[in-house]
Amino acid sequence: MPGATSDSAGGGALVPLSPETKRSPVYPLRHSVGPPVSPRVSVCWARGSSLRVSIFQQRSPPGGEGDAGGEVVEVKLNGGDGEISDAQWRRIAYGSMSPFAMLQSRRNSVSTLSRISPSPYHVDWWEFVMEYSKDINALLGGPESTPASVIEDPKTVLKKSEKPASLKAAWELMELFYVDKLSQAWLPERLVDWLADYDSLFSGSCATVHSKLVDFQNELINIQVIEDNPTYWEVIGSALAVGWLEIVVKLLHLHGSYQLDQLSSRETENGLVEAVAVLISKMPRMRLELGDGRLGECYKAKPDFIKAWEKWRSQITKLDCSAYWIQCHHLQTREGLKNLLQIMLGNTNSLSSATCHWLELYVSHFLYVRPFTVGLESMHGLAQKCIQLKPVPRSQKLMGLLLGILGENTEVVLAECSKEFGPWMVAHAIELMTAGSDEAESLLCEEQYDLGELSLQELHRLVYAQVLCSHAFTWQIAPVYLTSCMKQGMGLLEILLCKQPVQHNELLHKNLEICRLYELDDVSSHIMKIAGVHHWKHGRKGAGVFWLQQAQDEVRLHKIAQQLFASVGKSISDESFKQWEGLIELLGSESKTAGGLEFLHK
Amino acid sequence: MEKSLLKLDKGTTCTSWNYSGDRLASGSVDGTLAVFDSRHPASSSFACTSRTKVHEGSIVKIVWVPPGYGDAVACVCEDGTFSLWEELVEDSVPLQWKLCERFKSGSAKVLDVQFGVSPSSLKMVVASSNGYVKVYELMNPMELKNWQLQAEFQNVIDLVSPSSKALCSSASISWNPLRGEGQGSSFILGFSSDSPQLTSSKVWEYDQAHQRWLPVAELALPDDKGDWVYGVAWAPNIGRPYEVIAVATEKGISIWHLSLNVEVDGRLSVEKVASLSGHEGEVWQMEWDMSGMTLATTASDGSVKLWQSNLKGSWQEQATFVTT
Repeated sequence: MPGATSDSAGGGALVPLSPETKRSPVYPLRHSVGPPVSPRVSVCWARGSSLRVSIFQQRSPPGGEGDAGGEVVEVKLNGGDGEISDAQWRRIAYGSMSPFAMLQSRRNSVSTLSRISPSPYHVDWWEFVMEYSKDINALLGGPESTPASVIEDPKTVLKKSEKPASLKAAWELMELFYVDKLSQAWLPERLVDWLADYDSLFSGSCATVHSKLVDFQNELINIQVIEDNPTYWEVIGSALAVGWLEIVVKLLHLHGSYQLDQLSSRETENGLVEAVAVLISKMPRMRLELGDGRLGECYKAKPDFIKAWEKWRSQITKLDCSAYWIQCHHLQTREGLKNLLQIMLGNTNSLSSATCHWLELYVSHFLYVRPFTVGLESMHGLAQKCIQLKPVPRSQKLMGLLLGILGENTEVVLAECSKEFGPWMVAHAIELMTAGSDEAESLLCEEQYDLGELSLQELHRLVYAQVLCSHAFTWQIAPVYLTSCMKQGMGLLEILLCKQPVQHNELLHKNLEICRLYELDDVSSHIMKIAGVHHWKHGRKGAGVFWLQQAQDEVRLHKIAQQLFASVGKSISDESFKQWEGLIELLGSESKTAGGLEFLHK
Repeated sequence: MEKSLLKLDKGTTCTSWNYSGDRLASGSVDGTLAVFDSRHPASSSFACTSRTKVHEGSIVKIVWVPPGYGDAVACVCEDGTFSLWEELVEDSVPLQWKLCERFKSGSAKVLDVQFGVSPSSLKMVVASSNGYVKVYELMNPMELKNWQLQAEFQNVIDLVSPSSKALCSSASISWNPLRGEGQGSSFILGFSSDSPQLTSSKVWEYDQAHQRWLPVAELALPDDKGDWVYGVAWAPNIGRPYEVIAVATEKGISIWHLSLNVEVDGRLSVEKVASLSGHEGEVWQMEWDMSGMTLATTASDGSVKLWQSNLKGSWQEQATFVTT
């Protein structure tokens, strides 16, 4: 359904606002200034995107309340995400810097090579981006938690794992659709896997198959006759609908008819349970591979798959029509199993009642109704249908992103990334988006007059670099992103470097090192000049002269020489004469750069 | 989201951060200049390191001298005088804030002072209540004592001067935050005045060849020229093909684009690209962030607002902060 785009781009704002809420958000500024507070507040930008606000107490008669006359508070804009701690963010910021820098340098060398001779150096660019994406993905959380069964405890259906981060989920989604060319033919199956990893993230905003399973797992130890329990059959159906076959088979094996003392009396019943379990574990899947311990049978070629799929469905139909059902006297088992067969046969009503939200229904359609869905257009159409059938009361942040991707709307994807995941995500994910399509690349890399001849790609790098600048621990990373912006990054880098304090030597050297690295000689001498004057005026005359010499600031050195000359003429105490003497010696060692100080040797 | 950095002294009327944001100077009603320093660049705890009585009356504004000329501030006082103070170690005297120079402007009151770095020297623009602007030049870059008056003119673009008895209640100056040393110096200036010719914001540029200051642009629409100007702010330009300037008048805040190319008549073409409304009452302060993409403003309604251009070039309010 092309053109069916959601209008959540917020008019393309840097900080996107939803169109309904025309008014910008209002935040309270907490402070401890006693009343009456003056309405006059004063603001100043600190480095990056933090704002400092001075709040004053209104003039009050002596003896008024409070002991302070005001307070200065710092507001960090883009103040991060509740889901990820500040320390974790810094780890991600540091970790993502070198994959990003590596990708930029590869881009430069690829473009150089193709300029020299276009044909023999044909490189599959997406493979580089894939490597970058994998590196970044590794930073966003530990190994994925697949809802796989655990052998040790037969009653542990769902492996307990750390809650995955939606940032990682979003990253993987974008990798899947934009970068991984190998997965293009298997997108539906990849989405099935993705939902298996991240279904728990949706539990916050609506019920999910995952949350149903978690609840059932908690109840499990208290249940005596499991097959009598309607929830048992319900969760099996739900897990089957979303393709968590291992869990389904494991749950089926908990059926009472498997118990040795009952096996003989419930032979037919057990046979039916086992037959369904076998059918489930033989489900044909059109995909490259299945991980260890995963059930189902893989088919890479479509004709083979179709053959197996038809055969599998005919087996299900055959079982469905079998006479054994009459001999199965346990009502819940009979109905439960029959429902599982309906799910496998793709009965839309059964799928709809087994799933909780549209994404689960969507995935169940790929598994049992339309396994041959290809192309974003038909995937988007199916998604729209599923949303109508199973709307969610509150939209979840990943859903908006997925719809933007399926709708092939770069602007919506960008806005969702920015709104839900912040500047880090946008700056890094644009690499994935540009690898995906020429249309996205031209939109993101084209210079726009309204943005001051910046491209969206550079704009978002600048915005991210500013966030980095606002923290003393991360500003050193900012140059990597700034220097990747051909147009305006260097300008911002110069401002950033000129705003670093000079009085701490360690920081000063770090600063000069960055200048040297990016060949910013003017900035370097500007910084050394500031340092020289600062030290000179703060009584560290030697350091002052040293830095002014380094800056080759002839004018200032000349003024210093004049000052010294005037002092030498005066009668001065022994102590200060010693100081002058030392200084003259220092200057003498490099009389050339001392700029007019030679006369002092006379 | 917010974090307290420091507590201000009783009677504090104004504050100003230095270039690197690790020193804060505050002025108070009793004429005391207090300076707060951070212990370490990475720390966000600040402590008062000095208190100096700089004047008998109240300080109303503090402006830092650009780095490269020492740690120094200009203190503008309520009585219309201003003085330059510098942190120095002299001979055997330990570190202290020392008076460099005290400026008086006759009967007129000094309303605003701003420093600009030109390729050759440090310049200081002083706007007074009589509508006159004085541009001073520092003679010795190592000493903040010796200032030479380079020019004195009124903020008018036509040759017809307004009455000499103009009375201005406030002035606002903003230098073009230059990057490269090769660029010429320019600033924008606007007044709140009963004399309509003086009020509108004008861009002044130093003409090196003729050694004089020339008005090169006027940032007001024909109908708005008499509007009182409450604030001007020249955005840093990290590579745009035009300059961006914010002007606050009694009608609200407007954003202007200023062309970099000189037209035949020697003027720069200007375009008003946005009118920002949202503040109730007089705008007091406007500050651009380091990239020149976000504008922070404060007004008599006690709120702080942030403004940004969206991807289509249309300016919008992004957030409001209100003191609780």
